Amino acid sequence: MAEVKYEAASRIYPGTTLAAVNKLDLDIADGELLVLVGPSGSGKSTALRMLAGLEFVDQGSIYINGKDVTLSPPQDRDIAMVFQNYALYPQMSVASNMAFALKQQGIPKAERMERVKEAAKILDLEPYLDRKPKNLSGGQRQRVAMGRAIVREPQVFLMDEPLSNLDAKLRVQTRTELVDLQARLGVTTVYVTHDQVEAMTMGHRVAVLDHGVLQQVDTPRRLYSHPANLFVAGFIGSPAMNLIEVDRQGDQLIVGAKPIPLPDDVASDLRASDSKRFVVGVRPEHLALAEDGSPSTVVVVEELGSDAFVHVEMPHEGGSTMVVVRVDGETSIERGHTLNFDVNGPVHIFDAKSGVRLGSDPSM
Amino acid sequence: MTSTSTLSRDEQVKALQKKDARRRRIPLLPALIFTIVVTQTPFVFSLYFGFLKWRGNTTAPREWIGFKNYTDAFQNMFFREAAWVSILMTVSAVLLSVIFGTLIALLLDRKFFGQGFVRTLIITPFLVMPVVAGLVWKNQMFSFNFGVINWVLNQVGIESREWVSEFPLWTIVIVLVWQWTPFMMLIMLAGLQGQSSSVLEAAKVDGASASATFFQITLPHLRPYLELGVLLGSIYLIQVYDHIFTITGGGPGSTNIPFFVNQRSFGAAFAYGSASAYSILVVIAAILIANFGLRVLSGLLEGEEA
Ligand SMILES: Nc1ncnc2c1ncn2[C@@H]1O[C@H](COP(=O)(O)OP(=O)(O)OP(=O)(O)O)[C@@H](O)[C@H]1O
Ligand SMILES: [Mg+2]
Repeated sequence: MAEVKYEAASRIYPGTTLAAVNKLDLDIADGELLVLVGPSGSGKSTALRMLAGLEFVDQGSIYINGKDVTLSPPQDRDIAMVFQNYALYPQMSVASNMAFALKQQGIPKAERMERVKEAAKILDLEPYLDRKPKNLSGGQRQRVAMGRAIVREPQVFLMDEPLSNLDAKLRVQTRTELVDLQARLGVTTVYVTHDQVEAMTMGHRVAVLDHGVLQQVDTPRRLYSHPANLFVAGFIGSPAMNLIEVDRQGDQLIVGAKPIPLPDDVASDLRASDSKRFVVGVRPEHLALAEDGSPSTVVVVEELGSDAFVHVEMPHEGGSTMVVVRVDGETSIERGHTLNFDVNGPVHIFDAKSGVRLGSDPSM
Repeated sequence: MTSTSTLSRDEQVKALQKKDARRRRIPLLPALIFTIVVTQTPFVFSLYFGFLKWRGNTTAPREWIGFKNYTDAFQNMFFREAAWVSILMTVSAVLLSVIFGTLIALLLDRKFFGQGFVRTLIITPFLVMPVVAGLVWKNQMFSFNFGVINWVLNQVGIESREWVSEFPLWTIVIVLVWQWTPFMMLIMLAGLQGQSSSVLEAAKVDGASASATFFQITLPHLRPYLELGVLLGSIYLIQVYDHIFTITGGGPGSTNIPFFVNQRSFGAAFAYGSASAYSILVVIAAILIANFGLRVLSGLLEGEEA
């Protein structure tokens, strides 16, 4: 049981000038499942490895349970880690793999075996305890890696893309099991993934990283409804948020025929800003067919059964942009149709240059 | 009903596979025969000569005497002594070079400035001709009057000694270890570099100390490499000849079987028959020693489980 705290922690790999993780500030509560998400190369693994003690912290500090562990070796941090390739000990049986950490702590053999059996029961690994890792399937190996972490009852679990080697169906199933297991054990967990769906479905809170810089930390719902900047807006959500870049017309932003209705706080930020170009963000489900909307040409229709995603060419001030609209699966729409669409939900306005969101701070 | 039909189907499949296998192997037969002829002929001749009474320095006809050469061998005090020297020399040189090779490989298995250069330096002893190695050690290192070892010892006030005549066997073992450590080091280095770095990181996170990681994870991983080293080392080192010839000339306590075989045949006695028998015994001994080494090694590593 522990809180984790990154305090302006940076990692600059030797021979590079850019920080792989740049002044990361992050507070993780006891028992929380925090997901670190971001595109490839954004520094997720590096941030995790800094917490594990496998990567040197060049600046700033890291605390586990209030104790400064910045310079402690991994052995002294009481953390368990699940690696992307599982990193099982190939010459040892499943049972020995799981008992290895306990053996290092000098726990007597009888107790070791007891705890291994317990973990094996939770993870359905009992029939495989005597096997070598190479004789297991990918999913079983993943569970052994999990088992190796949970027998230790550590302060913190660290997981680096533990599901990425599983097939799509098993991944979804294991995802649910993992969330359930974490809730039952109540161990603080930092989970790394590049898959925003995994991040949104699993995390109590999600931290979005890009180029080593923390973009936003929030609950999945807040991240979806109040992205702090253009990067988060484009990264979270599938299909992605529609981002339409327009020039301001006085104190108004015009998409299609009509000005976008703006909430008061956004309107006042817009008045106060001296930028010229802005990005209007609308989620696919916040666009709808409307009699008096802007006429747009249908380019592609993706049928998903329950609903359909319609890709349309929407004209606006100074050009047109491809946008995706979610419509009911029953609606019959075909390529080539010209239909009228309008915004019927919240819009997100960002400064095109700085990427910053207009309106009240989403973290409030 | 169903069971008999599946059985016959199984048999059919088996018959088909057999036929297929035969069809694929027959074209390889000439190559196999050639290989057997080329590689096994000398051995077969030795085997045959080993059953003959055959003295090269008389005109007496060769005579088939069955296993007499072999039984004589074990009654021959000099042969028994040579056998003991062979075992001692091979086992100690192989073990020491494997241990030193592993230790050096562990040191070299990390990034540092001038890594490639240091590796090349360390490999050189293996590239030196055995005769040259023997001469260099004998005249530059062990020599009573001019040797480096005695010179160093004199500096700290220890008196010079006749290393070669006092410790004939061990001076040879030292030179063998000097030559074979780089070879073992290369094999172990290949093994170490084949180890996944995330496994080592997992061990760190699991709280393993450096020595626990080495003995419980790295050493079991190195097992096939150690086995290879022991096997190749035993096969080569049981046949050592040049080093003995240059350093001690077979002086007391340093004659191994190959040296003895040579003395028996070309050296003086011209006893080709018994020399052949002895050389067969060397082959058998090599197999036994290598097997024994592998057993011991497996036993050591097996015990590390759980
Ligand atoms: N050992 C290293 N030496 C130098 N640069 C490195 C090293 N490891 C990672 N980097 C760099 O640091 C940055 C962050 O890498 P990191 O592995 O943390 O990314 P990631 O977010 O985990 O990406 P992925 O999703 O592909 O695993 C990358 O630009 C990468 O090139
Ligand atoms: Mg990564």
